[in-house]
Amino acid sequence: MSAVLTLDRLSVALKRGRGKPIAVLDDINLTVNAGEMTALVGESGSGKTIASLGVIRLLPRSAKVSGRVILAGTDLTSLTESEMRSVRGRDIGMVFQNPLSALNPTTRVGNQIAEVYRLHTGETDRAARARALDLLGEVGIPEPADRLDDYPHQFSGGMRQRVMIAMALACSPKLLIADEPTTGLDLLVARQILALLSRLRREHRMGVLFITHDLSIVEQHADQVHVLYAGKSVEWGTARSFFAQPRHPYSQALLGAVPRLGQTRLASIPGNLPDPETRPPGCRFAPRCAFREPACETAYPAPETTGGTMFACRRGREINPAAMLDAVLDDPAPIAAPSRGTALEVTRLHVDYERTATSFFQGMIGRKDKMRALSEISFSLGQGECLGIVGQSGSGKSTLGRAVLQMIPYQGHVILNGEAFDTMPRQRRKRARRSIQVVFQDPKESMNPRMRIGDIVAEPLKLAGMRGQRARMAQAAALLDRVGLSERMLNLFPGSVSGGQAQRIAIARALATNPGIIVLDEPTSSLDVSTQALLLNLLKDLARQDGLSYMLISHDIAAVSYMADRIAVLNGGRMVEFGTAQDVLTRPTNAYTRELIAASPHFRTNQPGGPTETMEFNPSTVQPSAV
Amino acid sequence: MLRMIANRLATAVLSLAILITIVFFMTHATPGGPAFSILGQKATPQAVQQLNARLGLAAPLWQQYLLWWWHLLQGRLGYSYLLNRPVTQLVGDYMMNTLALYVGAILLSLVLSIGIGLVQGVTYGRWPARLIWALQLSLYALPTFFVGTMFILYFGVKWGVLPTGGITNLRLEHPGLLDYGRHLALPVLTIGLLGVSGLSLYFGTSVHEELGKDYVRTALAKGLTFRAVLFKHVLRNALRPLVTILGLAFPGIFAGSVLVETVFNYPGLGYLLWRSALSQDYPVISAIVLLIGALTVIGNLLADLVNGLLDPRERYE
Repeated sequence: MSAVLTLDRLSVALKRGRGKPIAVLDDINLTVNAGEMTALVGESGSGKTIASLGVIRLLPRSAKVSGRVILAGTDLTSLTESEMRSVRGRDIGMVFQNPLSALNPTTRVGNQIAEVYRLHTGETDRAARARALDLLGEVGIPEPADRLDDYPHQFSGGMRQRVMIAMALACSPKLLIADEPTTGLDLLVARQILALLSRLRREHRMGVLFITHDLSIVEQHADQVHVLYAGKSVEWGTARSFFAQPRHPYSQALLGAVPRLGQTRLASIPGNLPDPETRPPGCRFAPRCAFREPACETAYPAPETTGGTMFACRRGREINPAAMLDAVLDDPAPIAAPSRGTALEVTRLHVDYERTATSFFQGMIGRKDKMRALSEISFSLGQGECLGIVGQSGSGKSTLGRAVLQMIPYQGHVILNGEAFDTMPRQRRKRARRSIQVVFQDPKESMNPRMRIGDIVAEPLKLAGMRGQRARMAQAAALLDRVGLSERMLNLFPGSVSGGQAQRIAIARALATNPGIIVLDEPTSSLDVSTQALLLNLLKDLARQDGLSYMLISHDIAAVSYMADRIAVLNGGRMVEFGTAQDVLTRPTNAYTRELIAASPHFRTNQPGGPTETMEFNPSTVQPSAV
Repeated sequence: MLRMIANRLATAVLSLAILITIVFFMTHATPGGPAFSILGQKATPQAVQQLNARLGLAAPLWQQYLLWWWHLLQGRLGYSYLLNRPVTQLVGDYMMNTLALYVGAILLSLVLSIGIGLVQGVTYGRWPARLIWALQLSLYALPTFFVGTMFILYFGVKWGVLPTGGITNLRLEHPGLLDYGRHLALPVLTIGLLGVSGLSLYFGTSVHEELGKDYVRTALAKGLTFRAVLFKHVLRNALRPLVTILGLAFPGIFAGSVLVETVFNYPGLGYLLWRSALSQDYPVISAIVLLIGALTVIGNLLADLVNGLLDPRERYE
């Protein structure tokens, strides 16, 4: 097995402003073999993207890099900038997250692909165009000849990422670096992209460095795994032995945090990632680790080998995985409010989108194109129940949420506590709307950046007529406390909190008017897995304590299955499957549901030496989540 | 693309119609009506009545409004009170001079702004960009008439290299293009330079913004040189906001050109407007206002079309 890429004690320090350079990546040793995939795993702030930019030397000029980056025998750190340019794009292909912004919006995709080929081979325009056409076909774009002259915005998310991959492959590179290529894509599409990368690396004998925050997605595809925490490697080695028995408490927690079908509690990691400026002197994970001992906090542990992996943990050998899992699982809140009846009923809901008039003249004469976004949707939501709404982008799931929230016009009835919204008098309707609240996907986007967090949380109270700033702030503090945040946050602005904290604030705001129902529209899809786990656990506990009802809208059926009592699957604006979570998961009747289930991570056993592959989904291990 | 053009055209026509209506009511619904402006505040009622009858101003306002449209569609804008020439003819003569001035000034500021903006965007946060910013600010603060006067003083009087006023040398029987060009030089320089400060700052910021986008990193990762990334990828995308702002710049340039044309005695619309305003020559004033409005609407339309060419996403709206 020949190494395509070797990182030898790679360290990177970045300068912020005038201060001293701060180490963001420390002594990383990593290998990618020809034809293999190495997964570099870490959450935001772990330094994984810095590592990939360090390899192709595209870090800011002020960055201090030490160590060696060896690509097929050549030390890239010793090359001149112009030599390095001929490596980029020719020997190393890059695929970035969010292909919509990573591709030039005003250049035809064929030209973007041809550009890199022409640059490194000196071929003619015609030959480069032919090559671009071949590549589009190879990455699985249907009718490639028709798409060559399209622009990036004319492709779907998954297809755009295929275009990115085609561009990276143009010069048949030895190494492909894929930085979170599947983040932001629907699970089914993400799986397809990963399968594509796996096929390509085998066919081209190309090494792949796959950077991700989600261990579950690489479980079936990676040959090597390398877990980063706060700029330091914590565990690395062959994927087989890593997934069979992760040794480091952080690896274990990261695996346990991924919602899987059949999981009853998600592992959560208390605390936050330390800032690069205030990293602890010893093991960087120690402050959040359930197994720490005094020695952990003073000196960084020497890496130890076991089987096919190495880990940097003083106690990695002795603690057994079951104990480890127990330690990271907190106890669910007791059920305080048993279910009582129906909170919400939706009957025969239709939503038509009037497409904005396609021309000025059509607008003048009032002609509008109608598109049916939702048809014939009926369901009821019990008090204290969580209803999961699953579907891919464009399935109408967010539209359903908006209709229930009375934000868009619809036909049919939305009945709250026995009374339909459409027949209520205005005043009562206004009050009734307070009892359905919403939490959106991107918490920071949904907050006014110039308002203090206290005012954001208290705003619904103000609208509901609560007098007195002091009383409102006291109430806001209590709300923050319920979602596990300190009242010190009251005076901060949204810009200074993390994504997970921002989403908690959004939940606190939703709770302010004491609603019976909260619509959760992809509440965790912009968050890291461990943050997602914390949040889902919090939502579950809130529901159990207060008898809250949720409509959880998501493309991730595993996350939904963790939360939901019943699941509705939407496809093309219709409800194609509806039933209890257990029924839907174990006896899906619809082909689309089966595909979603097959693409989701399945429950893994944590026995030492247990099966390396994920376990086949077994109905008997599914426990209906408690109501 | 065709649909987008049709949409934009329809909007442009609507804007023009609204503008025409506003101009009509502003000139016709003044206290006492236009007759007072022509005859002066001390006019006798009889004289006003006579004049109103002669000018068709005695009819109800809505009839006048329709008549105004009818005349407008035929290209009849009335007679100048002051010069006693048809307004259409008068304004037409002056407009060509103004257009020459505008095209020259806009080209000059575009070329300079793109050059300066690129340097500023690339060196953003470092001393070249800071120096440029200081220059932009001080230039922006200089009043037009001051710069124009200084140019006259140095180029015209002190060094004597360029003419300081008019459009042609009156002593030449057949003034050639060169003569026009020499007369255009100083007014074009004055208006053009003053536009540069704002436009280049705007473009520099736009370049800086584009440089921070993900596709730039992708292009660098392909192995392109920074220069190639800048000219093949960034430039085109950074131009879009500049085009939009240029399309809306006509009223601003016109406001500047009133002063500049007056300083340089340059027979353009700005100069004509100044003279007509002094003598309350309403038909001429309203024709010029209409014309500038039309230029603005057309400029905006052109900007939309150019943006459609630059950015495919604009074409499908």
